[in-house]
Amino acid sequence: MSPRTCALCATNKAMLKRPKTGQQICRDCFFYVFETEVHNTITQSSLFKPGDRVAIGASGGKDSTVLAYVMKTLNERYQYGLDLFLLSIDEGITGYRDDSLETVKRNQQQYSMPLKILSYDELYGWTMDAIVAQVGKKNNCTFCGVFRRQALDRGATVLGVDHIVTGHNADDIAETVLMNIMRGDIARLGRCTAICTQGEDTIKRSKPFKYAYEKEIVMYAYFKKLDYFSTECIYSPDAYRGHARVFLKDLEAARPSAIIDIIHSGEAFEVREEVKATQKVQQTCKRCGYMSSNDLCKACTLLEGLERGMANSGITDRARKKLDAEGPAPENIRTIPFYNPPSSTLVIAVEATNDGKPSTS
Amino acid sequence: MSCGNPVSEEDSLMLRRTKYDKTRICGKCRTNVGNVVIRHAVYCKECFLPNITTKFKRILEPTINVNGTRKKGFKPTGNLCVGFTGGLGSTVLLDLISDCYYSTPTNEDVLKGGKDHPRNAGVWKKATVCYVEICNALPGTRDRTEEVRDVVEQYKHFDFLPLRIENAFDDMWWEKVGGQRSELSLKVDIGNEELVMIPQPIESRDPVAALLAYISALPTQTAVPSAIQNLVRLLLLRTAWSTDSSHLLLGTCLTSLSVSLISSISQGGGFVVREEAQEEWQPTVSSGSRRAIKVVRPLRDIGMKECAIWAWWRGLKVVGKESFLGGKQGIGALTKNFIVGLERDYPSTVSTIARTCGKLAPKDNSEAICLLCERPAQPGVQDWKARISIRSFADPGLASPPPHATNVVSNKTDDLSGPSLTPYLCYPCHTTLTSRSSRGSTASALVNSTPLPVWVAPQLDGKGIVEEWGSRKMERSDMKQSISEFLLPDEDS
Repeated sequence: MSPRTCALCATNKAMLKRPKTGQQICRDCFFYVFETEVHNTITQSSLFKPGDRVAIGASGGKDSTVLAYVMKTLNERYQYGLDLFLLSIDEGITGYRDDSLETVKRNQQQYSMPLKILSYDELYGWTMDAIVAQVGKKNNCTFCGVFRRQALDRGATVLGVDHIVTGHNADDIAETVLMNIMRGDIARLGRCTAICTQGEDTIKRSKPFKYAYEKEIVMYAYFKKLDYFSTECIYSPDAYRGHARVFLKDLEAARPSAIIDIIHSGEAFEVREEVKATQKVQQTCKRCGYMSSNDLCKACTLLEGLERGMANSGITDRARKKLDAEGPAPENIRTIPFYNPPSSTLVIAVEATNDGKPSTS
Repeated sequence: MSCGNPVSEEDSLMLRRTKYDKTRICGKCRTNVGNVVIRHAVYCKECFLPNITTKFKRILEPTINVNGTRKKGFKPTGNLCVGFTGGLGSTVLLDLISDCYYSTPTNEDVLKGGKDHPRNAGVWKKATVCYVEICNALPGTRDRTEEVRDVVEQYKHFDFLPLRIENAFDDMWWEKVGGQRSELSLKVDIGNEELVMIPQPIESRDPVAALLAYISALPTQTAVPSAIQNLVRLLLLRTAWSTDSSHLLLGTCLTSLSVSLISSISQGGGFVVREEAQEEWQPTVSSGSRRAIKVVRPLRDIGMKECAIWAWWRGLKVVGKESFLGGKQGIGALTKNFIVGLERDYPSTVSTIARTCGKLAPKDNSEAICLLCERPAQPGVQDWKARISIRSFADPGLASPPPHATNVVSNKTDDLSGPSLTPYLCYPCHTTLTSRSSRGSTASALVNSTPLPVWVAPQLDGKGIVEEWGSRKMERSDMKQSISEFLLPDEDS
């Protein structure tokens, strides 16, 4: 049987079956379509303007490593005129994050990008190891996700960047659409498919891999021989999200377009106007100045619970009431330094994922 | 619970988790010992049955009158059509409709509530129960029409109207339900992503053969259940239209609704998420009045478990239905397994899904209607698909192909041999006809001349797609007739 030729260039020998389209194509065409689709995503949403300082949220994992490589490639090929930085958060997970940060440090050398690492320890006075020691493995992802989002914004402020890009891929977004429907989280459902989330004069946050399949990211890293760290977080995954992830993978196996079909669905609907009117107004946290739906932001609430030895007070209403019944917070507990964003307020709330990324919501 | 080991200490045995939160007494009457637990709430039989009736009426009754109020009784604008599958939901639905609106008074409660009470007067003048037999679409499955007939004929107020899924390809059935005939018959090349249409002269066709040709041309196994579901839906709607019905009631319970919502979203149906729960439909091409049919799912607040308990206590016979969700690997089957599994561990998930989707609306307004499913179609779908995944270097939207691609293959519209069906389809229908499996296509060799359901071609008449002059030589008088609306009076005379 003669080798198949590439369905796109009709010249080279096909080397792979593209997960997104099922087409059999050559390696060069795969690189080309992968990069061009990311470029299309960037240009059609007008994500950047020349001179922008852009921080790449880097965990050392496959998504952020490929993102850093592709952003550098596209920036040079299409002359975006961006100043690119790597921004990493050290959650303080021994045997996981310390190893992955070594990968990020190598990426810094390989891609010649400045790197800023901000740790939970210096920002909150707690590492994830210490948090898990107090709360156990059940709800630790909530702490990690909430703290990471705020840490990224604070790191971006330190770097003086205009924009943070993260490695969220199509699978992450499809999974989040399903999760938000199942949890009834209307506010997040309304914004989780947006490529760029931004309030007035706040740091933009974008997902250039919004339409890139996870399998294709792995394929790209494999063929380009990129240096990335590939271990799951050692702390337990969110069981509920785990269900959604397994379901999505089953759907993808049955019909590969399911991932993109779910994203299309998420982009096609919106929260009804009368429902939007009932949603909470965004304000700033009275303690740390970060965006919040209540007097205290989620990070301050969680931190107060940790400091007072009642970690669940940020998780359940019952525990929160118990904490409130014990009176106001003592003066001597550690708090998060006051946040001075580039301008007024930020807009996006937080949810944890298992893979070192803040939520797509 | 004992592990069977007599020497085992009591402390080491695992305690059985209680299914109810606080007490075994019915939470409604607070008197009787409960018989069932529904999402941690305990009910006795006496309270459970009226509770289900109330939930049923709460959904259905506000839709009966045009303006939603019922101060002067129910006055629907047409008859009633009930879609019956033989499954649990539609069996319970039929029983509830009969009980609430068509029950025969017994000696004890003669005309209880007065002669104008909906139970005594009836709400709809005529009620038709429509069943679509799908065995010819799924070889190896049995025909259940007679079993269904036995069940439906127990209710004397209902007319039974059996249909067969091949009616979707039957011109005689189409004429019978008042469908407008097209001058041409349409076939489509499903092997081509542009779905090139091939207009052909009208000829009599075998509906079963056409149905099987359509099913076997679908590119994946996952497309088959979606296609069958769509055909059944349109057959029911057309039947409701032809029986002058104002309401088409379906037995979709809360669990099934959540499954169909997630399944629809997983197939790109986010734009019509509202229609999955409730919709108003009217044919895009019709010669009659501009009335609309309300499609209502009165069991959408009642879970599968509640339906099963109702059926058990009321002694209902459930015929059962063919599972056409695509085996273990269909989108519907995967979704059902997922949702039912979640319901066990997280009992409120199912209602959360339905409530969340109820808060959504389509982002854009659209006048366009999909030819295949006759639901609203979002504009710009093909541009979106082309933008997010490059499928050809000949795409005009692509700035330049890579340097090594010197022998670019074109599969775009320039060399199409006929008009494309793609612009007239919604996202889910286009995906059903074109999305390929990573394991290769399951389609037969007949994909290049696949017949389409009878309602597709008439909708294309007048859209310049299937014009007569493109396919046959016309007499001058016929030509003049075709252009008559553009001729000025002087020219005409």
